[in-house]
Amino acid sequence: MDLENQARIKELCEKYGNTELVILLGGAEAEASGLAAETVSSGDPTYAGPLAGVSLGLLAYHIVEVKDEIDPAVYEDQIAMMEMVLDVDAIIQEVATYRG
Amino acid sequence: MKFPVLKGTTYALIQANDILLHQGSTQTSERKLNPESEYFSELPKHFRSFEQAVAYPPNQVFVGNIQPKILDTIPRPWYENASKEATRQGKHGEIMPQDEFIGLMKAVDVFDLVLLEESFAQRISATLKAHPVVGAWPFLDKLSRIPATPESLDEQVKEGAEPLYHEGKLVGCVKKAHAFDEALSAHVMFENLASKASAALSMALLFAKTGLDPTLVDYIIECSEEACGDMNQRGGGNIAKAIGEVCGCINATGSDTRSFCAAPAHALVQAAALVKSGVYKNVVVVAGGSSAKLGMNAKDHVKKGMPVLEDMIGAFAAHIGEDDGTSPIIRTDIVGHHAIGSGASPQNVTQAIVGDPLDRAGLGIADIDTFSVEMQNPEITEPAGAGDVPKANYKMLAALGVMRKEFERGELNAVVDRIAMPGFAPTQGHIPSGVPFLAHAADLMASGDLNRVMIIGKGSLFLGRLTNLFDGVSFILEKNNGAPEPEETTQKVKKTRIGITLLGSEHGEAEILKGAEIASNANADIEVIVIGPAIKTNLTHIEAADEKTSHAQMDAMLKSGALDAAVTMHYNFPIGVSTVGRAITPGRGTSMYVANTTGTSDTQRTAALIKNTIHGIAVAKACGNPNPAVGVLNIDGARALERALQSLQAAGYDINLTQSAREGATMRGNDLLQGTPDVMVMDSLTGNVIMKTLSAFTTGGSYESIGDGYGPGVGQGYDRIINILSRASGAPVVAGAIAYAAACAKGQLLQKVNAEFAAARKAGLDALLTVEPSATAQASQAAEKITAPKEKIVTEEIAGIEILELEDAVEALWKKDIYATSGMGCTGPIILVAPEDLDAAQTCLKEAGYL
Repeated sequence: MDLENQARIKELCEKYGNTELVILLGGAEAEASGLAAETVSSGDPTYAGPLAGVSLGLLAYHIVEVKDEIDPAVYEDQIAMMEMVLDVDAIIQEVATYRG
Repeated sequence: MKFPVLKGTTYALIQANDILLHQGSTQTSERKLNPESEYFSELPKHFRSFEQAVAYPPNQVFVGNIQPKILDTIPRPWYENASKEATRQGKHGEIMPQDEFIGLMKAVDVFDLVLLEESFAQRISATLKAHPVVGAWPFLDKLSRIPATPESLDEQVKEGAEPLYHEGKLVGCVKKAHAFDEALSAHVMFENLASKASAALSMALLFAKTGLDPTLVDYIIECSEEACGDMNQRGGGNIAKAIGEVCGCINATGSDTRSFCAAPAHALVQAAALVKSGVYKNVVVVAGGSSAKLGMNAKDHVKKGMPVLEDMIGAFAAHIGEDDGTSPIIRTDIVGHHAIGSGASPQNVTQAIVGDPLDRAGLGIADIDTFSVEMQNPEITEPAGAGDVPKANYKMLAALGVMRKEFERGELNAVVDRIAMPGFAPTQGHIPSGVPFLAHAADLMASGDLNRVMIIGKGSLFLGRLTNLFDGVSFILEKNNGAPEPEETTQKVKKTRIGITLLGSEHGEAEILKGAEIASNANADIEVIVIGPAIKTNLTHIEAADEKTSHAQMDAMLKSGALDAAVTMHYNFPIGVSTVGRAITPGRGTSMYVANTTGTSDTQRTAALIKNTIHGIAVAKACGNPNPAVGVLNIDGARALERALQSLQAAGYDINLTQSAREGATMRGNDLLQGTPDVMVMDSLTGNVIMKTLSAFTTGGSYESIGDGYGPGVGQGYDRIINILSRASGAPVVAGAIAYAAACAKGQLLQKVNAEFAAARKAGLDALLTVEPSATAQASQAAEKITAPKEKIVTEEIAGIEILELEDAVEALWKKDIYATSGMGCTGPIILVAPEDLDAAQTCLKEAGYL
């Protein structure tokens, strides 16, 4: 996960606490999405960024998992096309692993 | 509607393991952070040999020996399934090894920044001189300049020069171009020279493969991802012109277009627009490759135990021209782009770049046979976690079709199968972006296997940290279905416009006007425009009070295109330009070109005579004689000239040397009277006397009654057609001169001259022109002419000198042993000197009153 994003997430979590914060992912495939979910829950597995060894315990969801929470018109306009392209099942399965 | 066409595309690949190791950004970053990294001992074990790189199937696709779709039939990994009949030379380009490329970097370096070890330079010089495409570059002579020793190279590298290694051995370096300017650091100069050299190679391949004459190129658009300039203008640019200079595009200008990986698509749309609008006829789009991107994903490749596949520098060049009835057309009416307000989601981006232009044209995804997207080789990107880039793009395009309700969702995979091609291009940013398929598309359209392809380029602007925006451009390439539409029939046949100045004749203005009117009445396709004081005539008249204003008016009209050519007298040509007269031979009544009759082709006699010959041939060809017979008049220096011409002929220059009507090769007085050759070559003083004699021998000399005058001023790169008369020329000669000038204009004399020089240069002209003058000639020259001190690299500008005194000022510096050249800067004439000479030069110019 991008080092600057790690820093921003760490800062927001310190400000609002981990129960007030949910991470939404938009990764294009399962492995990368899983890596991001792991980084914000148990820490940066590559030990490169500010979240190396920092376990924030944040819950992460991929955008396709929260489809029902989104205005259908907005979802159609922004996400529907990519939903067709992505391997949605593999992404959901991978991201869910890191929610304990 | 008439559309511009894609007349040819060529590609170059350079395999560069040592550059990957020493200049690839992944490796330089690792060396900075972790100099003792184990990675550096592992990495070289994963290098490929040149032969392996050549036989790698995706590389064979890139240079055109295999069609992209064939890759789908070759099992992965492709690096274990070498192409059996792979060759370094491709149908669309070439794969070059690193050592030759290092030689090219030196050849294209104008500022002596590249140093090469002497034996290496000698070996590569010999190899490159035998190269079928770049072998004739005069710049190859640079390889012998400033030879370095291994010790001096070690010293340079210690002082910060970028090392040039080959097979692990230090063979050269690139020095910084300024003491502390970061924009001219050794690192930046290395990347820019690598980009320039690879671009020049691809452009040279374009000229060799398509037969396009470099002198016919009007405009060059360079679209790489490098920036050239200094600390005050870091991206000052025009790498385009630097590349064109190497390749002999002497009539072209150009500029650079940037948009990260989307730049080539932008550049092709711009090129098509320039041709469609009629601004230019022949535009070349070119981009060199990136040394920084070599081995970007090498860590992953090493980790996965595979060869380091990102060892290829890529480059391309494409020629856009007017419709020829066969080359693929560029549909300038169906262009797509991602607008600033288009939005950033993949859906918004795809709709803007692909969906919107299709909507405007009333087309659908189904109407496009295939799409050329980011054609990155998946074998490079997949091990690094970036997936199969083209495949992901094709899926998005099919999904767009579903969103547009063109297909059912269940058909998505079938649509992908129909439109997809495997990726085969090196991961060089702008190089894989849409353009790798251009030449294949042209082949498939020619064989009837493809009708319409959309070319897409996309760029990640956020990498520059000035905007979060994304960018993308698309255009459609279509099979050309036949001859271009005829020009509108209402359009009149364009007349050739010839200007003539009235003042200066010993026979008065009325005599010149009479000649102009004879020419106008006899030639329906010529419009004669007279320039001079008020006079009664039906011809178009441009007012000018004296000879000086007449010439200024004439020059301005030639420059603006208001005149195609002009006829005048008492006009000064620059050194290098001389006139080719046309006389009627008294013995046979035929026309003979007298090369030359006034002006100075060169200050050295043999060189001048060689140039006179080429000038004469070019004029004869422009006037419709495709293979003029050439004879050398028996004058001082005739033998040396004959030897030079025979040497050009032996080296492949197509020259028709004729025999005297009596015996032997040298022309006598008889041949002059009988017009034995079509072009009679001599020095300009002799030519002037002969022209005068042949024009006025029936009148005693005061009235020239026969022939077409002293002819057009001709010189390499000279940009206008001005035919010369003498003050004694009578009306019949004036009329003949106007028709002669018109024939030169219609026959595209300027292009013919440059083409003739280019052909002669291929046969070793430059070496013949630079032959040292004999000792006696040197001595006599020294008495009257100041010679330049030893040549230096000049980078410092001195401005503020009166243009008319510029050359005198240069000579004043030479006298003080300061090497200087004159030039034209942004704000006026300048003198250029080396940095160490700047102070002394300024003082000298002030003392001499030039500043």
